[in-house]
Amino acid sequence: MSHTAVRTRQDPDRTAARTHAVRTAWVRRRDRRGFVFVAPFIAAFVLFILVPLGYAIYSSFYTTRIIGGTVFAGADNYRQVLGSGQFWSGVVRVVVFGAIQITIMLVIAFFFATIFDLGLVKFGRTFRTIYFIPFAVPIVVAALMWGFLLQPRFGPFTRLAEVAGFPGTNFLSDKLMLPSIILIVIWEWTGYNMIILYTALKSVPRDLVEAAILDGARVWKIIFRIKLPLVRPAIVMLIFLNSIGASQLFVEPLILNNYQNGVITNYWTPTYFIYNTAVAGSQYNLAAAMAVILGLVVVFISVAALIVRRRKGELT
Amino acid sequence: MTAVDLSEGHRESRRERRRRERQQEQFDAIPIKLYGLRRGTVTGLTLLCGLFAVFTLIPVVWIVINATKTQANLFQTFGFWFARPFAFFSNFGRLFQDIGGNGTYIRWFGNTALYALLGGGGATALCTMAGYGFARYRFRGSQALFYIVMAALMVPITAITFPLFLVYTKVHLINSIWGMILPSLVSPVGMYLMRTYVQLSVPRELIDAARLDGAGEVRIFFRIALPLMVPGVMTVLLISVVAVWNNYFLPLIIFSKNDLFPLTVGMGVWSYAARATSGTDVLYPMIVIGGLVTIVPLIALFLLLQRYWRGGLLLGSIAN
Repeated sequence: MSHTAVRTRQDPDRTAARTHAVRTAWVRRRDRRGFVFVAPFIAAFVLFILVPLGYAIYSSFYTTRIIGGTVFAGADNYRQVLGSGQFWSGVVRVVVFGAIQITIMLVIAFFFATIFDLGLVKFGRTFRTIYFIPFAVPIVVAALMWGFLLQPRFGPFTRLAEVAGFPGTNFLSDKLMLPSIILIVIWEWTGYNMIILYTALKSVPRDLVEAAILDGARVWKIIFRIKLPLVRPAIVMLIFLNSIGASQLFVEPLILNNYQNGVITNYWTPTYFIYNTAVAGSQYNLAAAMAVILGLVVVFISVAALIVRRRKGELT
Repeated sequence: MTAVDLSEGHRESRRERRRRERQQEQFDAIPIKLYGLRRGTVTGLTLLCGLFAVFTLIPVVWIVINATKTQANLFQTFGFWFARPFAFFSNFGRLFQDIGGNGTYIRWFGNTALYALLGGGGATALCTMAGYGFARYRFRGSQALFYIVMAALMVPITAITFPLFLVYTKVHLINSIWGMILPSLVSPVGMYLMRTYVQLSVPRELIDAARLDGAGEVRIFFRIALPLMVPGVMTVLLISVVAVWNNYFLPLIIFSKNDLFPLTVGMGVWSYAARATSGTDVLYPMIVIGGLVTIVPLIALFLLLQRYWRGGLLLGSIAN
């Protein structure tokens, strides 16, 4: 990932330090003191991430019976989840959602980041500030607002669709729910992604672009042959983090469910299914197994992507 | 940028800084004539930007306009224009009342502010120290620890929250504000960001020089490293505060008393109740004005701190 690149580029002093400083016991003791800085964070990390995660894995191998209490169940919960068509339909929905949403969002974000970076727009600063506003809107509030806007009977968008010649459009119907959520998530996150890409583009050395211009390169060539390859680490990181976000799609369906009955099933996304299994169904052990499998799916996809990139020689 | 600010030896006013930044930007930019574009390209692209700005602002404009409406007008009048009667103040006043026994908005607002302040502030402190520790010390297992923390990004929040809930029932942290604040202290993304920032802005030579002068490690951190890390710290603070402000899942699970809810959970309860009672409780205008009051402080915070997120430190901070 990008931090390795950053480190080798920006931190050459470490190798130098290694060669010229003899590693005495004094040095090692001093370095051990570095742990003091890290310790509070690690303690909180262990307590509030590793311990609960371990507990989730542990409890996923147990089951609670009405008679007999909690008993070891082996892989029963996993068998049940893996064989559940509902669970996998949620996984598939989230993968489709992520593939479409992340692609559209990154294309838009890269487009605007590029034209801001090249200075091809007037009032660029103002636009960047405006685009960033949705990041300040909690997802719950964003979903509530869009729920109103897209509401089947009174929503202004529904009325606009009517005027535009699509009477009876229901943005929250079975067919249009996923596209509507894609729209909402794009609204929420495009500006944020744009700012990150803009920053990365800004760090491309100026002389590279100047040299290309002197060679007579067209603007397209500058964008796709010079800028894009140099910001690839940032794009890869964005894909990774956005995918993790997409795999946990939860709040939007939960809130939109209050605007339209019967479209969001209780297994609509994996996280929503886990929530319903644990809260409404009180089947914590089964929910734990689902959460573990969801995590493994994310790890699997990430590792697979990493291997593919390594094969293609993009990583060393 | 910061290094320059410090060496200049005087604090420049906001206007001076803005002017300098704008000049710098103009100086850095390659004159667009050189790209050999067709005439009208800039106008066309600016219009396109305007279109996307309209898309971005639609919900914001909508919520401002509709915060002034009664429940009947909310549904019966055109969403993008005002209607009589002007109900903004009566809507606003009801934020201070308990509506339908679901809880008081103003109370939730206070809770959110408290959680965001303590959780976000604490997370920033831990991230700052840990980022510095990981960036500037090699101790046994430091690499491994760092990668374990990064790998934890892939763990679904649900896999952590429900077990946390079960543990909480045993240690009496259900319906306790600490149950909300303590987990908010862990921000792997903030730590990663801080580590990157230290690598870029706190030179190793400076630390070594201070050591030769006999300064202790703690003193070096507070006196030398921390001042250089301020922009990074502000960014992490911004991100952590927003993360807690927006957190929905954890408080949803661990709080059952509505006077402990943060805004997000309270608004979710309203939206559920509004549907369940089919609008007889006049909750819809409350949801709208509540949403508006929820986002105003954050947008204000953003505009105040925008030079930090503009400064490009957000790189690597997208997961919340």
